[in-house]
Amino acid sequence: MSTTTGFPYASIDIMKRLLYILAVLAVALGYSAPSYASSGSDEEVDVKEIIFHHLGDGYGWEVPFAHVYRIPLPVIVRAEDGQWFCFSSSKLTEVEVIRNEETGKEKEELVPVVYETERSGKTYRFLIAHVSTHKNKVVELFPISDEEQSKVAADASATTDGVVSGYAEYKGIYYREYKPVDLSITKNVLALFIAAIIVTAMVMSVVRFYRKNGMKAPRKGMGFMEMLIGFIYDGVIKATLGAKAPKYAPYLLTCFFFILTMNLLGLIVIFPGGANLTGNIAITLVLAVMTFIVTNMMGTKHYWKEIFWPDVPIWLKCPLPIMQLIEVFGIFTKPAALCVRLFANMMGGHMVVIVLITLIFIFAAFGAAAVGGSAVVSVLFTFFMLALDVLVSFIQAYVFTMLSTMFIGMAVEDGHGSEHAKEEAEQIDSLENKLEKQTK
Amino acid sequence: MELFTPDFGLVFWMFVAFLLLFLVLGKWGWPVIVKSMNERADTIDKGVEYAREAKEQLDSARAEAEKFVTEAQKQQAEILRDAAKMKTQIIEEARKEASEEAKKVMDAAKVSIEQSRKEAELQFRNEVSRFSLEIAEKMVRNQLASDAAQTQLVDKLLNEIEKN
Repeated sequence: MSTTTGFPYASIDIMKRLLYILAVLAVALGYSAPSYASSGSDEEVDVKEIIFHHLGDGYGWEVPFAHVYRIPLPVIVRAEDGQWFCFSSSKLTEVEVIRNEETGKEKEELVPVVYETERSGKTYRFLIAHVSTHKNKVVELFPISDEEQSKVAADASATTDGVVSGYAEYKGIYYREYKPVDLSITKNVLALFIAAIIVTAMVMSVVRFYRKNGMKAPRKGMGFMEMLIGFIYDGVIKATLGAKAPKYAPYLLTCFFFILTMNLLGLIVIFPGGANLTGNIAITLVLAVMTFIVTNMMGTKHYWKEIFWPDVPIWLKCPLPIMQLIEVFGIFTKPAALCVRLFANMMGGHMVVIVLITLIFIFAAFGAAAVGGSAVVSVLFTFFMLALDVLVSFIQAYVFTMLSTMFIGMAVEDGHGSEHAKEEAEQIDSLENKLEKQTK
Repeated sequence: MELFTPDFGLVFWMFVAFLLLFLVLGKWGWPVIVKSMNERADTIDKGVEYAREAKEQLDSARAEAEKFVTEAQKQQAEILRDAAKMKTQIIEEARKEASEEAKKVMDAAKVSIEQSRKEAELQFRNEVSRFSLEIAEKMVRNQLASDAAQTQLVDKLLNEIEKN
């Protein structure tokens, strides 16, 4: 008996200690909050800006504990006249010291700056636009005549945010803007490469292990990798595709591990991670398009027949092609659903975490107690959300792979499977009927 | 809405990164892993099958051995029984033979005893007749020592002859 009662006591002890630590944290935060509140009272916390900044892409990569310093990354743009430019993103920003007149405190801010470069007698100007329709993107600037300037300024004053389409404002002056073809290695692109390298390293380590040790089973980390590979290959790909599994396995396994790595990297807040990759629609779009291409390129005669002449009563497909319309629509909605599901799930998770953290700063306006309380609650909830996000990362990678496999499986089956599926569906129907009767 | 509009640069790089990753892993990564895993699974399956077969063989061998042992035991028992039977038979035969031999020896002994008895009888008879003759002679001599006795006897004998 004594051994069984030991555990709850210990856990209660730990809980007590945790509560104590949290209380101390709350009090400490409460004391520090007034100073923050007084200095920050003149500037509103722009929650939307913070959230979008964290969810979006950037030309540099933030370093922890340094507000104004970024890891510079190459900017690659094609100017309006077809010239390619490659320069460091640090040239597009500079640190400006802002002095608060009331309190006399100085604060460093990172502000955009025009990068001017000359090539064959021509001056090219680039800027990370802020007051523009291409906010936070690199645009090429062209000075405009005074006449046009006053006209644009007049237009801008009519709007609330001063944005005039086709023009960008910099230090009170409007320029004509051109959105260049932008192939910059941004934060997301670099994170993408890091993720790809990590996946390659992981997979190749397993390959090397097999080369070196032959039939031996890998242990620890590699064993985990192998378990995941087995889980996806045997549990999903082989189960759905059967004999065709080896042909499509490379694509599907690459999908799974790439998505999983990107998801998990996104949850790590500092350098190699922190980029919201799979919560970016461009990434999920490419992945979905890949599945779309594979599905439709490999589609058999049977697959296309099911789309254009499905097995339904004749009045559903002729003379009005109702089913055909639905089926053709379905070709596109399937990958679209893939794209949006992954994107929304991952972005949602990130957004909730950021909102929970910004809650602390929003509550700063209501005094010390509110900050202390909200800090404790926010951190607890954030911890929970991040733990949940780890689960979601895995589930979403799995779901994407599973659905892709199913779509491919449906496209590559050659007619024999459909009868089997029908039989199965009938069986399920009859079982359900039985259950209904029983419950009645 | 910035979040919902895919950025061209990112789409481009994602495409490049994914294709590169797919080509590298599709060529050198996954096939090797999948093959190795399958091979290992097959080896394990084969090993299990082999072990099962070996166990079966062992079981059958054991059963066979047991069969042999029981058979051998049976044979042994039979041999022992035969031996016992033979032993009694031999003893019986020997006894019979011995008794026969003994009887023969007895018979021979009886015959020789009879013979020697007869011989002894004969000898005894001869002896007796000789002794009686000697006695008679001695008696006759004694009786016939006088002439008168002699003449009397002769007379007597002559009388007898005459009577006859």
